[in-house]
Amino acid sequence: MSGAAVDPENTGGGLPPLVPGLYTSVAEPGRYGLVGSRCRACGCHCFPFDDHCPKCRGGMDRVVVGTRGTVYSYTVVRTKAPFGLPQPYAVGYVDLAESSLRVFGLLDPASIGSLEVGMPVEVTVMPLGVDPEGRRCLRPVFRASGGMSERSIP
Amino acid sequence: MSQVMIAGGGNTPFMKHPGRTVLSLAREAGSKALIDAGLSPADIGMGIFATALSGKLFGDITVGQNAFAEMGMPRIPVFNVENACASGSSAVHLACMAIRAGEVECAMVIGAEKMCVPQVGLLSSGDGELDSLLGLVAPASFALRARRHMAEFGTTVEQMAMVSVKSRRHSALNSNAIFRTPVTVEQVLASPMIADPLTRLQSCPNADGASAVIVCSGKMGRRIGARVAVRATMLSSGNYVNPQDLARWDTDYEGVSRVYEMAGIGPEDLDVVECHDAFSISEIIHYEALRLCPPGGGGELLERGATSLGGRIPVNVSGGLLSRGHPVAATGVEQVLELTRHLRGDAGSRQVTGARVALAHCMGGDRAADTKSMTAIVLAT
Repeated sequence: MSGAAVDPENTGGGLPPLVPGLYTSVAEPGRYGLVGSRCRACGCHCFPFDDHCPKCRGGMDRVVVGTRGTVYSYTVVRTKAPFGLPQPYAVGYVDLAESSLRVFGLLDPASIGSLEVGMPVEVTVMPLGVDPEGRRCLRPVFRASGGMSERSIP
Repeated sequence: MSQVMIAGGGNTPFMKHPGRTVLSLAREAGSKALIDAGLSPADIGMGIFATALSGKLFGDITVGQNAFAEMGMPRIPVFNVENACASGSSAVHLACMAIRAGEVECAMVIGAEKMCVPQVGLLSSGDGELDSLLGLVAPASFALRARRHMAEFGTTVEQMAMVSVKSRRHSALNSNAIFRTPVTVEQVLASPMIADPLTRLQSCPNADGASAVIVCSGKMGRRIGARVAVRATMLSSGNYVNPQDLARWDTDYEGVSRVYEMAGIGPEDLDVVECHDAFSISEIIHYEALRLCPPGGGGELLERGATSLGGRIPVNVSGGLLSRGHPVAATGVEQVLELTRHLRGDAGSRQVTGARVALAHCMGGDRAADTKSMTAIVLAT
């Protein structure tokens, strides 16, 4: 999957994405991939997309950098939530299977209480919170692999 | 290269100062520093002013020029520095660079923050950054380090709570600290959860306050009887390598190694340390970067009492950020002032006996799971 050309605007669902081009739908229904870039010169990946490689300043191609991974660390934030996120909300760092990137992201609110370091997760998209202009929007979320949260966009 | 010395310093209490401006706090600290050093405004050749939040909270910019003008120091070159939580320590570094370069004989550094206001909210790495939009707030970034440290090294929530317990035991001896009441491990763990596993009593409180130090050349220092020398100062940005190791903070290890090398010392030479304990886990991780113990040994080092006043290497005897309070840009200057007092033997009931070598460690900002700024300053008699 990594390396395939992607359509960054193919987001699915009715609401606008948090930021255009952050994720894209992939073959299976309800499954998404995070869109980043891969350096044409040194092969280095980055997320989110950057047109110049942070290591060698080479040009980069837009690619799916991960559809699944494992939780490297997690926390549940119980303070007042920013950007209209649910209270509490869970976040973590996930090691992506396809690109060896460690990325920060939201974790499925339904998994609060069953989170563990090392648990397998996959990328999906959910209506969570608002964008900086206060509009409801879709955010990429990592959910437990194989599970379908009822908040997922089919 | 000219030697740098600390001529003196002064501060305000770190607390809520309703009705006072950042400028009035800065003036109080600066004026006390002049008195402490026995200097007059005419002796100061340069002003470095650090505030991290005045622009965001009050729309105040270039506050430094106002502060130095109002203290009777017009005309001198003034810099305004913002490096998040490392603003004050970056300002000290800049002043020392100016002295070493021979540009001026004497410079005053002021770090000042007014942040106990309703509009402060939760600090993040910047409202427009993707991580912030996905919910990364400052407590979460340290909670993620804590969870990983627990998973890799077996660090316990009780050990983390003990950082706060030690901090309060120390701050009880510091009349300038915002929190001075002793707490127990049970109270720390029972306080409201902020971001699992970190509770409120493991998170540094907002405070208003200002701190100032005056640095000068070795020649001037000897003339005025200064006794504390700045052996080394360093500032680095993050390496932002992906993946970042959240349990072993590379930028922290690298920065500390560099400052040890610059100062020609090792961890065994330190008598007292102030480090950036923004959250309980931070202090444990910084012990390891400072090589006070092996990687993963921070919880045990604390539990043995080595970092308490009277222990092998006392850390944050002032109460640190956790109990002294964290007026963001004042913190890095206050650390230098606190250590100067220990090296002069002026630290009162919390004096580290016979302290000769001290290290101030500070960090600021978040980017790509790394810190944006890391500073370390070595002082010695």
